[in-house]
Amino acid sequence: MASTEGILRAGVRVAPRRGLPPWLLIAPTLLLLTVFFVVPYVNMVRMSLLVKPAIGAYEPEFTLANYARALLDPFHWRVMYRTFSLAGVTTALTLVVAYPVAYHLTYAPRRRQRWLLMLLISPLLVSLVVRGFAWMILLGRVGLVNLTVQRLTGHELVLIGTPAAIVIGLVHVYVPFMALAIAGALQNIPPELIQAARSLGASPWAAFRRVVWPLSLPGVQAGTLLVFVLAVSSYVIPILLGASNVLVMPMLIVQTLLDAFNWPLGSALSMVFFGLTAGVVAVYLRLLARGMPWTRA
Amino acid sequence: MDARMTRRGTWLAILVTAVYVFLIAPMAIVVLAALNAGDYLAFPPQGLSLRWFIRAAHTEPFVRSFLFSLKLAAWVTVASTLLGTAAALYVVRHSARFRNLLRLAILAPLQLPAILTGIALLIFFLATGIGTRGMRALFIGHTLVSLPYVFLTVSAVLAGFDRSLEEAARSLGAGPFTTFRRVTLPLIKGGVISGALFAFITSFDQFPVSLLLVSVGNTTLPIQLFDYLRFSFDPAAAAVSTVSVLMSVAIVLIVDRLVGLQAVSWGAQ
Repeated sequence: MASTEGILRAGVRVAPRRGLPPWLLIAPTLLLLTVFFVVPYVNMVRMSLLVKPAIGAYEPEFTLANYARALLDPFHWRVMYRTFSLAGVTTALTLVVAYPVAYHLTYAPRRRQRWLLMLLISPLLVSLVVRGFAWMILLGRVGLVNLTVQRLTGHELVLIGTPAAIVIGLVHVYVPFMALAIAGALQNIPPELIQAARSLGASPWAAFRRVVWPLSLPGVQAGTLLVFVLAVSSYVIPILLGASNVLVMPMLIVQTLLDAFNWPLGSALSMVFFGLTAGVVAVYLRLLARGMPWTRA
Repeated sequence: MDARMTRRGTWLAILVTAVYVFLIAPMAIVVLAALNAGDYLAFPPQGLSLRWFIRAAHTEPFVRSFLFSLKLAAWVTVASTLLGTAAALYVVRHSARFRNLLRLAILAPLQLPAILTGIALLIFFLATGIGTRGMRALFIGHTLVSLPYVFLTVSAVLAGFDRSLEEAARSLGAGPFTTFRRVTLPLIKGGVISGALFAFITSFDQFPVSLLLVSVGNTTLPIQLFDYLRFSFDPAAAAVSTVSVLMSVAIVLIVDRLVGLQAVSWGAQ
């Protein structure tokens, strides 16, 4: 196979090349990314270092005052702490909920796998606003959860406006991401490995704990990272399910930019937020690498 | 031993069923709430009717933003399908040294928080005087976050592509464009269409990027719905939401038929 391909390819190389150079294929995408992605981000870094005058958006004069304001206000740190802990709890719960789903999906017969994937992916494609709205219906005062709890216990349970509602909404949004990431890793485990462990006398549980779980850790790492980064920067779900009671960083940044019209401070807050997220991710990766030394190549 | 294993399997099945119910129930509830005949959003619904769909279809802001979102998503789909397919062709076939770097760059808009990208774009558009009026700013922002999906699905089909077919066409005298149109394109069609559908739904449902780039008179449906929900809470919102639910179900079914969901779920990573 490889050798025929080699011969064919060599034959083509001899043939005179016609048409346009191949880099034209990537040029428009790179242009788009440079002008409308790289430059705006670099511009945001610059903006975070500019002076905010009393009137107008910014002055082309450099200062570190925005960073001082972003870092020294204890209010910002409280919001930051809330944002990161909500995302942390969400990530942990999502992992617990999604792992069995991924395991079940991986070892399901192929026909059923198709149906399960449909169930997993269709909520993923529904608008975030709609998913938030669905949980507003479920968790509100006249919602199914409150009515059921009231009937059973006589107490009210209105979750809207609490961090718990936000976590429920976020877990719902991120379970498919996590499940697909873990299933991707589980797919790569050779079934013979599990059979070998079993035939050597390992109980199903021991085979799982000693073989499947360790080998699925790369998927767990990918899934938890993705979910954490997405959860930290989520905006719609916290605002809809927190009913504006629970302030998280993305909300604070958007308020600073749009309501307070302070671009330099908003940019500085974004940078600090960005840096902290990267820091948390780096620490997490280090800890995880220590936990699975076999992935170090 | 066997009894214990089947019991374990049953427990797993029950647990997993509960998770799927958790995932699907909210969507089902939105649809049921939209069919509610009563005056308030309540569950269970008081009788079935289509009155809230009719109400939503007569609410001017919903209709206007729906049409705007459709038009925007159509343009974004065209642009990201063309750019994403070309980029995937280049990265899979012509790049050697920079393959990983290019892949990382093209996927970067998915890795960075969309809301920060929206903010960076907003400041950039306002500072350069391009502004956010009309569709331009939204079109660019949406294309950035939709293109990676086309890139991923087309890369996935190209990875399993037998190049000797193209080479046969070339050696039989077909030019590069004819080869592409008659051989390559039909073979990667599934990936291209799946990518286009994902790009469409990404744009149509987009929230974080749109939030910052919408302007007066140019509001997308998710933003309109979001604004509506902050002041009113009635079944008309559920009727609008049902559109999004139905669209995602349709897209999942089509992609499943075209390339199989397995290909896009695992191949994409």
